[in-house]
Amino acid sequence: MDVKFNNRDPVYVQVIRHFKEQIAKGYYVAGQEIPSRRELANQLKINPNTAQRAYKEMEEQQLIYTEGNLPSCITKDEKVLKNVREELIIEAVDLFVGSIQSINVPLSEVLELVKKTHDAKSGETEESK
Amino acid sequence: MIEVKNVKKKYGRKQILKGISFTANKGEITCLIGINGVGKTTIMKAIMALTPINSGEILIDGGKIRKESFEKITFIPDTITMPQQMKISEAFQFMADFYKSWNPQRAQELLQFFKLDENDRIANLSKGNTAKVNMLLGLALDVDYLLMDEPFSGIDIFSREQIAEVFTSHLIEDRGVIITTHEINDIEHLIDKVVLIDEGAVLREFNVEEVRENEGKSVVDVMREVYRG
Amino acid sequence: MKNYLKLVHFEVNRFFKMYLIVVGLVIVSQLIGAVVESKEYLKNIKRTLLREQYSFSEYLQEGYQAEPFSQFLNSGWVILSVFMCVVILMLYVFFIWYREWFAKNTFIYRLLTLPTSRLTIYFAKLTAIMLLVFGFIALQIILLPIEHQLVYWIIPADYRIDILLTEAFNFVSLGGLYPSTFIEFILLYGIGLMFVAVLFTAILFERSYRLKGIFFAIVYSVLSCVVFISPVVLHFVSEGYFYPLEILSLLLVTGAIVLGCAIWLATYLLKYKITV
Repeated sequence: MDVKFNNRDPVYVQVIRHFKEQIAKGYYVAGQEIPSRRELANQLKINPNTAQRAYKEMEEQQLIYTEGNLPSCITKDEKVLKNVREELIIEAVDLFVGSIQSINVPLSEVLELVKKTHDAKSGETEESK
Repeated sequence: MIEVKNVKKKYGRKQILKGISFTANKGEITCLIGINGVGKTTIMKAIMALTPINSGEILIDGGKIRKESFEKITFIPDTITMPQQMKISEAFQFMADFYKSWNPQRAQELLQFFKLDENDRIANLSKGNTAKVNMLLGLALDVDYLLMDEPFSGIDIFSREQIAEVFTSHLIEDRGVIITTHEINDIEHLIDKVVLIDEGAVLREFNVEEVRENEGKSVVDVMREVYRG
Repeated sequence: MKNYLKLVHFEVNRFFKMYLIVVGLVIVSQLIGAVVESKEYLKNIKRTLLREQYSFSEYLQEGYQAEPFSQFLNSGWVILSVFMCVVILMLYVFFIWYREWFAKNTFIYRLLTLPTSRLTIYFAKLTAIMLLVFGFIALQIILLPIEHQLVYWIIPADYRIDILLTEAFNFVSLGGLYPSTFIEFILLYGIGLMFVAVLFTAILFERSYRLKGIFFAIVYSVLSCVVFISPVVLHFVSEGYFYPLEILSLLLVTGAIVLGCAIWLATYLLKYKITV
């Protein structure tokens, strides 16, 4: 796992976001086992306390669950998983719309461009694969 | 917990420490940041009773340092603490002879992790490898507190990455670590707490994640603010 | 106690290579010396015979024989080698401390953070020095009979006056090293021990206060000397009021005081004042 963290947002928040992205992508599926706190800290090159904090927060958000001494797993609650995906999409759209509005571009023009750019980029990633 | 309380120290006429106070908790990595010559190393030496202080108090888990404390706290200075003519294996033997807290399995584990050969003489090691051996001698002690003076300075990037990796591993977990540095970039995501020091005084002591959360600032942002402001 | 013994072993080990070299030098120089001096002695006799036109029997009658072994003991071969040992040990008294600071490594950090009393380090170093001293003395005890044999083997019996091996131990160059009574032993090596302890403490003054420490170290050393020799001064001032034995006992007392002070001060300096 290679994740670039920025220095201004709390690292634990960035870790949670990283998990959400993995869930949205389908890399993590319902009920899947996730790395232990220590493994995660080592993989992401972060402080074990931060990994701990991220897991605690995710448990509170019911993204993951831990039963007894077993390894933590991704939630089996489909509703939560769906929400994660939606949340990320809405967040991205909000951000995008915000920057578009600030330069007063009509929606129709933008949508056309978005489609083009998206296709081109997907093509690139396909090729590179 | 290590408590440094209003520590003052003069060296000749120069006041090196002007009433330094901070705490470092077990299970956390506390980073003393400041440019060279502001007294970071002196603080570490003072904690280890390697240099006298003029006033103030330093407590380790609530008590003053005693000879037994050295099974609980260790110092990794920026130069190696073993005679040059020793082999690594001899240095291990020396440690095993004197410290109950020496953990030989862990020493072997670290030897492999750092890819060192125990038959090498310290004098013949590269700078990076000398730093690793020095680090190893401290890390293989089952102590509660580790003090490291500039573990990243003056060594190559690969050694640096290896050493940084140690911080995210079980070798550090649950211990209290104080490290000094004048360059935060390598380890910004590794540390829990920062103590900014300048000219022998603490300018600010803060929890890194809290500052990111509440103020949206990186360690470097805070440093810029504190040193320029 | 266990740590003390380990440290003593460690300290002796560290100097051992150097020590063996010095031991080798002493052996070689004294053995060569014994041969050279013996040959020289014979050559001298021949020269005398030639010059004075004596026959050998006349030579004997005139009583020209000398004591070749004592001549050897008073020669540079022995005196210089003993002197070399003394100088090297004197230097090592300083080096045994300063080597911990002045090298690429910082072994003093390790020593001072061992989970053992810092005074143990002081005692270990003190013991190491004393052991090295005793080692040299033992070496000389072993060397003397060998040299004795060697000299008398080279020089025929008629050409020499013999001295006993036991007499050899009383010679100028060695006399001081081999006390004949227990009291002398205590006094001699006690003074040696005290002397090294005072130097160690003086070094610790310097290591604690650096430049100012040199001044303290000098004042401290002078004071220690004054305290120690005060009974002798008393002896002269009182113009022989005290018996020599009383003065000797007083010296033992002041010596013990000086040694005690050195250890007490070292404890304090190592615990509170030493700086790396």
